[in-house]
Amino acid sequence: MYRGREGQWAFLLHRLSGLAILFYLMLHVFSIGSFIFGERFYMAIHETYDLWPFRVGLLFVTAGVVYHAFNGLRIIVMDFTGFGVAYQRQMWYGVLLISVLAFVGAAWTLYPRLVGGY
Amino acid sequence: MIRARTLTDARQQSHSNSELNWWIFMRISGLILVFLILGHIYMTFIQVSESDATFDAVVNKLANPAWKFYDWLILALSLMHGANGARYSIEDYVRSRPNRAWVKGVFFTVIALLLVFGTVGLFSI
Repeated sequence: MYRGREGQWAFLLHRLSGLAILFYLMLHVFSIGSFIFGERFYMAIHETYDLWPFRVGLLFVTAGVVYHAFNGLRIIVMDFTGFGVAYQRQMWYGVLLISVLAFVGAAWTLYPRLVGGY
Repeated sequence: MIRARTLTDARQQSHSNSELNWWIFMRISGLILVFLILGHIYMTFIQVSESDATFDAVVNKLANPAWKFYDWLILALSLMHGANGARYSIEDYVRSRPNRAWVKGVFFTVIALLLVFGTVGLFSI
């Protein structure tokens, strides 16, 4: 791993969020796709998601996707424009801010569901 | 794996065309996925609750070919984007050649099965 201040953490977080999202995606494709095995099989998995760790976990998935998406845009700007590398540090703090806002915003909107259940 | 800042660097570093194509694919699919996935999260998580995502709701939604196409695009692009991203990590952290071979073999098999499973599911309705 290279040591390069903000760039190092941006890289590490991009990888970790990417791997976490991929893991979630694989579970998600299986659980939603399981409707082809019939209603009972699908609902058995689905009702498990009402447990609170899954409800809170979805907030982290949301924030992780937002981080990965906006940091990905930052990478694209760095790759394809002349000014991207010069402003990569400022852009990264922007990405962090957007991710935190997404987490707080989603938690704020979903608060009744998070504490009361679906 | 390519570590490059610009397209010109990437082109010079790539030993094969496929590696360069994956580098470009990551950027293009990523750009498309930003809209597809953020829209998907907003529509299916923020806007509606888990209790609305019943068996009947899924079947009804997928009866519309537009949603079928939307979901299939997410399925294909995100699995390929994720599989290639994980390949970068495997190549970086799994150092021994035989281990790397079977880790990749098992991993790509699971991804391929999920892609087939999801596609069959989407188009069987």
